[in-house]
Amino acid sequence: MNRDRYSCLSGSGTGWTGRDNLYSFLVVLIMNLLLYPLIILQILFFILLSPVVLPLSVLISRRPLPEIVRFFIWVYGKVWIFIMSPFVRFEKYGLTNNRFPKPCIMVLNHLSFFDIFCMGAFPFSNAVFTVRAWPFRIPWYAPFMRLAGYVDMETKGLEKALELCRQHLDRKACLVFFPEGHRSRDGKLARFYSGAFKLSVQSGVPVIPVCITGTDQLLPPGRYIMRPAVVRIQALNMFNPQDYSGHSAHVEMRKQVKESMIRTIEEVRR
Amino acid sequence: MIQQEIIDIVNRSLAEEFELETENMKPEAHLYKDLGLDSLDAVDMVIVLENAFGRKLRDEKAILKIQTLGDLYAFIEESRRNY
Repeated sequence: MNRDRYSCLSGSGTGWTGRDNLYSFLVVLIMNLLLYPLIILQILFFILLSPVVLPLSVLISRRPLPEIVRFFIWVYGKVWIFIMSPFVRFEKYGLTNNRFPKPCIMVLNHLSFFDIFCMGAFPFSNAVFTVRAWPFRIPWYAPFMRLAGYVDMETKGLEKALELCRQHLDRKACLVFFPEGHRSRDGKLARFYSGAFKLSVQSGVPVIPVCITGTDQLLPPGRYIMRPAVVRIQALNMFNPQDYSGHSAHVEMRKQVKESMIRTIEEVRR
Repeated sequence: MIQQEIIDIVNRSLAEEFELETENMKPEAHLYKDLGLDSLDAVDMVIVLENAFGRKLRDEKAILKIQTLGDLYAFIEESRRNY
C-alpha cells in the first residue's frame, strides 16, 4: 500500500470515485472493528501480566522498579505499533541511540492521544513523560504512570515538578515534554510553555526536538474513529543550552527549537 | 517610574515569555480568558516580572487577586510605591 493509498483512505485524497469511497469506508470499518478489540485486549493483557512480570523483572535484573515499568511501557508501545501496522505505516528518521545523549530533554509536538504510544519507536526505554494532571486520572494507565515516575506538572506546583525532573536527569533518564501542553486542534504548533527550556538552561542538559506527523490523521482530538495513516517520527538536531546565555536564554532556545519544528512539519506536509 | 513605563515593561516581558501578540495586550484583557495563560504560567509570570522589575513579588497576597492586565499594571505600580 503506497503513500497515496494511505492519504486516500485517511480522507485527504482528492478526485475519489464511488468505488474509492466504498473501499475507503470498508477499510476504515474493518480497521476499527479489528483494532479497538485488539487495543482493549492489549491493555488487559499488560494489566494482568504486570503483578507477575514487574516484581520478577526487578528481582532478576536488580534494576529500580520505575526503570522496569518504563521498559514495560516501551514494550507496550512496540506492541501497539505492531497492532496498528497493517493500517498505519510508521516512518522513523534519526531515531538512533547516538542522537539521544543520556540524560536529555526531548520535546515533541502533540497531535493525538496516540502520540504517547509512538514512544515504542524510540531506541531506548528509560523515558520519563512530564504531563498535565488529567492523564493521572485514567484508571487503567495511572498506576503505571505513577510507578514509572512520570511527572505531574500541575498538581504539586511547577517548582516541585521541576525538582522531580532534575532528579530524573541526575539518574540519566530522558525527560519527555509536550511543550504545547495539549493536543493541537489544527495541526499547527501552539504556544510553547517554557518549562523544558528553563530546565535545560538550568541543568545544562541538551534539548532534542522530535516532530510527529500523521497521528492527527489516525485519531484526531475529539474523534473516536481511527483512519489509516502514515505516521512519521523525526528527531531533529540537538540544541545545547551552553549556546544560550542571560535572563532570556530559555526564551531564545524555545524560539529556535520551535522554528526548527515548524520548518520540519511544513516540509513533511508539503 | 511612570505608569506607561510599567505598562511597556510588563507587556514586553509577558509577550516574550508567553508568545503573546502585543496588539491583544490591552488593560481589560483577562490573563486567562483572553490571553490564554493558565495555572502552569502563574509561577513563570511572577519570575518574569521579578526579573523585569528587580524585586520579589511572590510574597504579595494581592498578586492572587489579579485577573486582568490592568490589575497587573496597578499591582506593580502599587508595589513599587510601597517598596
